[in-house]
Amino acid sequence: MAKVVAKTDIGPPHYSNMLPPIVKENYGKWAYHEILTPGVLVHVSENGDKLYTVRVGSPRLMSILMVREICDLADKYCDGYLRFTSRHNIEFLLTDESKIEPLIADLEKMGLPVGGTGHSASNIIHTQGWLHCHTAATDASGIVKAIMDDLYEYFVDMKLPAKLKVAVACCLNMCGAVHCSDIAILGIHRTVPKIDHERLHQVCEIPTVVASCPTGAIRPDPKRKSVKVNEEKCMYCGNCYTMCPAMQIMDPENDGVAIMVGGKVSNARTAPMFSRLAIPFLPNNPPRWPEVVEAVRNIVDTWIRDAREGERVGEWIERIGWERFFEKTGIPFTEKHIDDYIFSVPTFRSTTQFKS
Amino acid sequence: MADKETPLLDELEKGPWPSFVKDMKRMGEKNPAARDHLRLLEKSYEDKLVHWKHGGIVGVQGYGGGVIGRYSDMPEEFPHVREFHTFRVNQPSGWFYTTEALRKLCDVWETYGSGMTNFHGSTGDVILLGAPTENLQACFNALSENGFDLGGSGSDLRTPSACVGPARCEYACIDTLDLCHDLTMEFQDEIHRPMWPYKFKIKIAGCPNDCVAAIARSDFSIIGTWKDALKIDQDAVKEYAEAGFDIQGLVVDKCPTKALKYEGGRLELVPEDCTKCMHCINKMPKALRPGDEKGAALLIGGKATILQSAFLSWVIVPWMEMKPPYDELKDLLRRIWEWWDENGKVRERVGELIYRLGMRNFLKAVGLKPVPQMVFRPRANPYIFWWPEEVGKNG
Amino acid sequence: MNEELRQKVLEYLGKVDKAKNKDIAVAIGAKKSEVDKVVNQLAREGVVEFLYIGTSYVKLAGKE
Repeated sequence: MAKVVAKTDIGPPHYSNMLPPIVKENYGKWAYHEILTPGVLVHVSENGDKLYTVRVGSPRLMSILMVREICDLADKYCDGYLRFTSRHNIEFLLTDESKIEPLIADLEKMGLPVGGTGHSASNIIHTQGWLHCHTAATDASGIVKAIMDDLYEYFVDMKLPAKLKVAVACCLNMCGAVHCSDIAILGIHRTVPKIDHERLHQVCEIPTVVASCPTGAIRPDPKRKSVKVNEEKCMYCGNCYTMCPAMQIMDPENDGVAIMVGGKVSNARTAPMFSRLAIPFLPNNPPRWPEVVEAVRNIVDTWIRDAREGERVGEWIERIGWERFFEKTGIPFTEKHIDDYIFSVPTFRSTTQFKS
Repeated sequence: MADKETPLLDELEKGPWPSFVKDMKRMGEKNPAARDHLRLLEKSYEDKLVHWKHGGIVGVQGYGGGVIGRYSDMPEEFPHVREFHTFRVNQPSGWFYTTEALRKLCDVWETYGSGMTNFHGSTGDVILLGAPTENLQACFNALSENGFDLGGSGSDLRTPSACVGPARCEYACIDTLDLCHDLTMEFQDEIHRPMWPYKFKIKIAGCPNDCVAAIARSDFSIIGTWKDALKIDQDAVKEYAEAGFDIQGLVVDKCPTKALKYEGGRLELVPEDCTKCMHCINKMPKALRPGDEKGAALLIGGKATILQSAFLSWVIVPWMEMKPPYDELKDLLRRIWEWWDENGKVRERVGELIYRLGMRNFLKAVGLKPVPQMVFRPRANPYIFWWPEEVGKNG
Repeated sequence: MNEELRQKVLEYLGKVDKAKNKDIAVAIGAKKSEVDKVVNQLAREGVVEFLYIGTSYVKLAGKE
């Protein structure tokens, strides 16, 4: 172990040392912005200064080789400054409009797409998946790559009815908080955990395992110094596995993904809303998850055909009604779509207002 | 890297979106850990099964957060990812960087880790993916020497994050970057030394568009807003109209509270009907701006599904001025943490605790006054709790 | 730092595999916020370390 020499609790670098001069000078003084072309913004300050932003899609998962190449571009075109967005995009910040085109040409050579502004499909928020997480029911980077390949035309252009935010979380822990996305792809389990009775009492505390279950499906099994699971109560959330490695919930045959739709975070027009279940299960089919890609494409295509200008997926569905959503997308509605957890009743249709 | 080592992942080199597989292969040629990392992922693609185990005790001295233990379950076959721990490195506010700072991070990670990163993780940190146990302290030392520190992990305050704010957005009603940095510095102990029932996330959005998804993704959501009327530049309104923009259809008709009127070429607002949703401002940024009396709404409880369902944060303070040193905000945070720490069960998020014990207990404990802005509508049942002092003694 | 409290915390941690600060505070009858301070100082000195199993615990460094 290396010697402890480092200062602790210094905190992150101060942001003011990371801001380009034009941002420092116009901090808090921006007047308005425009989207010049897909992926290219101009922000105009009260004193007339113009800051150009070129937004670039990244896979989020990047080697230091790629990060250095991005730095090379920022040195060449942006005096050594850049930023990232909350959706994993890279933003090059320019003061000289004439540098935009050569920058974009260099980005094209590197295979990096410019887009993600306005009514486009923005970059996908996602988690680690099989790449680097122990509770992942599916991969994230692979699904993201396959979907973004398919939705590429909507990232680099602005021809959607509204913005489209897609997210992938590789298990119900939802580190990516996918629960308020236009389209959310979520890794799920469908079978009860297999208990390693030999190991359980060595690596876990039984009261902790029992308490970890949100439905009370786990009971102590004193005879075996272990626990037992009431299979009828288990909803495969995996929380017990998170707490105890002897509650093995991974099941390659039955794990897969669910798709939820219609969430949004912004307060614009309608209040923020949750994504809701569209497709309860699609198989894990690496490397390119064709069933998932096709399902997303179907939802997007239907939305494009049917939505009014400016309607997010959730706003579109709320206008036409969920009964129409299932009809128009051809997605079967099943018992799986009807909530049976603790907040179910307010989702039941307690009115005769519905479309037949 | 040898050909055909990863036939399934090779399929992800195709297509127009940038390929992480191509990039990892390049890194794998320089770093055996990156190569094994990709090979192990290929194994997961074959098996449809994750090949990482639960973490053990890893960390750097003095810290309980910021390093996440990760071990492969196939150490013999993939020796270079046997120990493959994650660093969460606290990002600068708003994710602004100089290339100099980024290159320093890359150099440190080239020396001590796999060379693979995430820009950024879900909470906002720079994620450095994969270092062996013996490198952790040295890597941290090097990060610290280069001006970087770790973020949160475990049952602690997770790294606060903020939208671009006044650095590049005319909508920003609060200085998100300064507030984010200030809170991060104030609460270093809370970020680095987990002492709570579970995680606690703070996100700061400059306006109700909420580009950091604070309302969905943080236990404590600080969202900029304004109190007075939004500002309308009638000359700019005319310009939009002259350019053929459908003000009636795309702006006025979409106002959720019908607070706008467009008559005789003028756009007029009924200020008391406006709920500051941002729609009209988003559509006409040259003509419309937030008002002058700016501050933030504070909301609590946002979280993903595990365990008691997903929650969106709900209003606890409709309005607070956000000016340094932010003492009122910090005092409130401390009161909330104390109550949660005292009453929360293991792995119970603050929103779940409020759900279990009721808003009345929460509000009383932290000293907030109930106001109608906290609810969409009042309760529909008569199961009203009374404090002992509110009723007479029964007999 | 409160020497007496420090000793009590160390004594308690010597008896258990791991604990949350709250458990320590209850067991030794001290205020949680005071225990937090002591534990944080012990962490800086490398006397205690943290582990994460669904939630975070502290333990004496090197204690199996």
